[in-house]
Amino acid sequence: MTYRIFLTRLGNGLLVLIGVAIMNFTLVHMAPGDPAMIFAGEAGGGDETYVEQLREEMGLDKPLVTQFAIYAGDLLRGDLGYSFRNQRDVASMIAERIPATLLLTMTAFGIALIIGVVFGMLGGWFRNTLLDRGLMIVTLVLYATPLFWLAMMFVLLFSVRLGWFPPFGMQSVLVPDAPLERMLDIGRHLVLPAFSLGLFYAATYARLMRASVINVSNADFVKTARAKGVPGGRILRVHVLRNAILPVFSLASVQIGQLIGGAVLTETVFAWPGIGRLMFDAILQRDYPVILGVFLTTALLVILVNIATDLLYRIVDPRIETSAGS
Amino acid sequence: MKTLLKNTPLVIGLGLLALIVVIAVFAHVFYPVSPWQSSAIPLLEPFADDTLPLGSDMLGRDVAAGIAYGARVSLTVGVVSTIISITLGVAIGALAGFYGGMLDNLLMRFTELFQTVPQFAMAVVFVAIFSPSLTTIVLAISLVSWPPVARLVRGEVMSLKTREFVKAGIVLGESEGALIFRHILPNAVSPIVVMASLMVATAILTESALSFLGLGDRNMISWGYMIGASRTMLRDAWWLSVFPGLAIVVTVVAVNLIGEGFEKALNPQAHGERKA
Amino acid sequence: MLNKTSFTVTRRMALLGATALLTLPRTTLAQTGPVEGGRLVLIARPEPATLGLGLNLQAPTIYVGGKIFESLLTYTTDLEPMPSLAKSWSISEDGLTYRFELQQNATWHDGTPFTSADVVFTADDMMRSSHPRWKLLAETYVERIEADGDFAVTFTLREPFSAFIYAFELSSLPIMARHIYEGTDYRTNPANNAPIGTGPFKFVSWNRGQSIELERYEDYWDDSAAHLDRVTFLVIPDAASRETAFEQQMVDVLRPGDVEGFVARRLSETDDVVMTTMGEEFYAPHAFIQMNLRKPPFNNLKIRQAVMHAVDRNFISNNIWFGMAAPATGPVSSRTAFYEPDVTPYPFDIEKAQSLVAESGLSGDDLKVTLTPLPYGQQWDRTAEYIAQQLTQAGLDVSIKGVDVSGWAQALSTWEFDLALNYTYQYAHPALGVARHYLSSNIIQGTPAANNEGYSNPEADRLFAEAANSVDPEETQRLYTEVQKLLVDDVALGWIFEMRSPTIYRDTVNEVVTSAIGAMDTMKATWKAA
Repeated sequence: MTYRIFLTRLGNGLLVLIGVAIMNFTLVHMAPGDPAMIFAGEAGGGDETYVEQLREEMGLDKPLVTQFAIYAGDLLRGDLGYSFRNQRDVASMIAERIPATLLLTMTAFGIALIIGVVFGMLGGWFRNTLLDRGLMIVTLVLYATPLFWLAMMFVLLFSVRLGWFPPFGMQSVLVPDAPLERMLDIGRHLVLPAFSLGLFYAATYARLMRASVINVSNADFVKTARAKGVPGGRILRVHVLRNAILPVFSLASVQIGQLIGGAVLTETVFAWPGIGRLMFDAILQRDYPVILGVFLTTALLVILVNIATDLLYRIVDPRIETSAGS
Repeated sequence: MKTLLKNTPLVIGLGLLALIVVIAVFAHVFYPVSPWQSSAIPLLEPFADDTLPLGSDMLGRDVAAGIAYGARVSLTVGVVSTIISITLGVAIGALAGFYGGMLDNLLMRFTELFQTVPQFAMAVVFVAIFSPSLTTIVLAISLVSWPPVARLVRGEVMSLKTREFVKAGIVLGESEGALIFRHILPNAVSPIVVMASLMVATAILTESALSFLGLGDRNMISWGYMIGASRTMLRDAWWLSVFPGLAIVVTVVAVNLIGEGFEKALNPQAHGERKA
Repeated sequence: MLNKTSFTVTRRMALLGATALLTLPRTTLAQTGPVEGGRLVLIARPEPATLGLGLNLQAPTIYVGGKIFESLLTYTTDLEPMPSLAKSWSISEDGLTYRFELQQNATWHDGTPFTSADVVFTADDMMRSSHPRWKLLAETYVERIEADGDFAVTFTLREPFSAFIYAFELSSLPIMARHIYEGTDYRTNPANNAPIGTGPFKFVSWNRGQSIELERYEDYWDDSAAHLDRVTFLVIPDAASRETAFEQQMVDVLRPGDVEGFVARRLSETDDVVMTTMGEEFYAPHAFIQMNLRKPPFNNLKIRQAVMHAVDRNFISNNIWFGMAAPATGPVSSRTAFYEPDVTPYPFDIEKAQSLVAESGLSGDDLKVTLTPLPYGQQWDRTAEYIAQQLTQAGLDVSIKGVDVSGWAQALSTWEFDLALNYTYQYAHPALGVARHYLSSNIIQGTPAANNEGYSNPEADRLFAEAANSVDPEETQRLYTEVQKLLVDDVALGWIFEMRSPTIYRDTVNEVVTSAIGAMDTMKATWKAA
């Protein structure tokens, strides 16, 4: 049963991917800027014949439909295209950036989840107390703070003033050789970007978690447990937490795309060598194949994560009916 | 009315927002000179000069004037893009939910399309490609924020469709349009309103992020622009980025409080108030 | 400042050769002599797309590639030629033949000997097809390029062109390896990402998004040079982070533009930091407002004069560029050969600007213009905002168009602009970097660095042509003086400022700026105190 749903989901995902390819190809090629002209301009000159020659080399002289056919053909062969600007394979450009982005977004996600769940749990369990009010105010403010601004303030405080963490990059200039030191080095670089990306989502999850905890604690099975004299801590752990966390997971999986979007900002502010920055640079350079490649890759990532959480959900909570797929 | 006044988040939120709206609407009265105009010595520190309480930037432009005029951009973008995306989302969600079947399937795949692509990245590409202006920013934000509305409305419509009063309408032979507009949507209003207020907040944040990246409207001063423009001077002229940042936080907090207040008023159970 | 006598050099050059002496800033530590070893950390900004020098002429490619590749010549800060891969050179009396004697013990980083065949291949084949500036120059002036044995090359010109001696700088004609490129598709050659040059440092690795690593080339032809063990380029796309990186001693050198003027000024006040605005004499970046002369209001001279009066060039230099700029007086930079200071001045006078706009008789929609800013960072943004504001005060109705680099290039290249900001390099000689903006034959689309404003004046065309062909320096100066006065009277462009971007480095680093291209050069003499 689950197997069939899995296949349907995969099929849907594939359809969506094709849609993403078509949509973005159209969007990007509607752009008024001419990549050949930019390239020529940055090279400090050139005339029309030079631009024409570049256009030909970039494959931009052909009609749009032909360009798409070529692109689609490449995609079917698993080829994301070639970046003329960087004179490299788009797939390998993206592949070398993905680990950095995964590291950043997954850490941020972990931070968001932990802080969110803990805050939400405390707030929900001790609702309407001073603690709850305090946490609500903190999450309210975090939820309203622009990511980039928080990042700047973090750098100002923790890097410039206090010197605790490096302000940018993923590794030190002299990368230590020992694996452990190397991991610590990356870890130190990771702290500020991961927190500035994660805290916004932490606030989201905290509010959802709080509502969810309140909701679940009003449920009959919790009331029964309470009536049976099960200790509060145990009720919270065994009954409330397990059930209350489910909506948080499902929201989180929907937000994976957003998280990667947020990585564009974080990676730009912190010079983090991930695909977010790769894409931002590509946009500025009108490097179409790279923009398209990043979109496709992230879309694929989002689809996979959604399918995975969907499956996970079913395993964790067997009550979900098979029809409630979408 | 009394219960509304007891709704603390709503009261605080509306109060703050009213203040910001007043500042935005009367910016040209408070600051008759264009916020782009140099009017003082450059890099004047805040609180040093009574006429420039928030100091001046590297060109001697008044930071307070920038914040006042910047409120216009934030509020305009927040409200207009939310109206557009709510309209779009309601239309698509209602169609999908009401008719179901193939149409539903198609529209939901279409919605998914926009949800799988990272929203902010999509907005950046859209604005960069069609050159930054207030219009492209509003369109870009609308374009990436309607899908949740569509999903929400679809769900509401699907469940409302089976209710007695709708069935009664069908029996009475009312047209589909009347069913949707007169019976179904009015009953789905409260969750839409709550979502809309959250979308205003997100839109304001997104606009500020775009402007921060240099993708704002170059003829209208905005908070994100002010932060981005003074970013390299953060250490020497902290006030240039701290005040606009606070302005964003306060505005978004206000909008979120209103959203929360609405939610509380429309759906008290979720807040655990019932038992109190 | 330009040494006016430097131009007599072209004739005396025959005797000069390898004897050129440097008169450049040295730090006090220099007496102890170069220390061998150490790592120099620089910043790649933005990350280069490729290291195929000559195929990509963006600054980061030249900056990184410049340590790996070499050109035939480099130039002193007084713009005198100095040896590089050419150890000496001579120019015939008629100005038609340029002969270069090459270094005989130079090798490529893969061990292959460097010979005249590489030079001929580069100049006659590779750069002719892929380097827009060299291509134009070669097609216009060069009749043939021949090897004379393994270690001499002769360039024969069709007509005298005294600026030709400046065509051999690193960004103009980097020498590429024939055995690597011949018969390949130059743009897709894998060597573009793992370059093989003759320079003091050889390519080790490129960690995309993070760093590029070079190491000393042990068999470098100049035994007395290449002191550093390693040269690392960090990719730091964000200006604030670059500043922090330098302060926290992660980075040794900031090249022009790595940090903004404001930060440069502050950093330079730190004790152990050296700042110099030397090392940009060859490029002498010159900033101007491009006005579209094809249509109202800028086809009206009074409006163009109003623009010049409305903009306070001192304010821009001091308050936006924080002193890292000097007001420009005309089309030629004061650091370029044949500069003429005595031209019509346009002092800052907003009332005069207003009355000029009134006198023009234009009103309403004719005064409605858009300004296309140069999207190269905060200081350019502020410059655009300031200019828009000033012109609005003068009576124009200005709005700023939001563009990224591509939108800007597109607007200029297709002439779809009213006002646009731009800056270009002067390349040491008016014939190379200046004339292109004013010659009516150069009113072409497809590049933002041509005569995009549509200026057309037969008199200016004639003067530029005669000056380029002249072999007599005094005659050349007379012609260039005349054309500068003419252009300034016509307000062909709105010249705003000469960029004086500083190179900033720690005082433990020595010999950073040793030529007119400063940090862009090979850094073969650079060393770091232990």
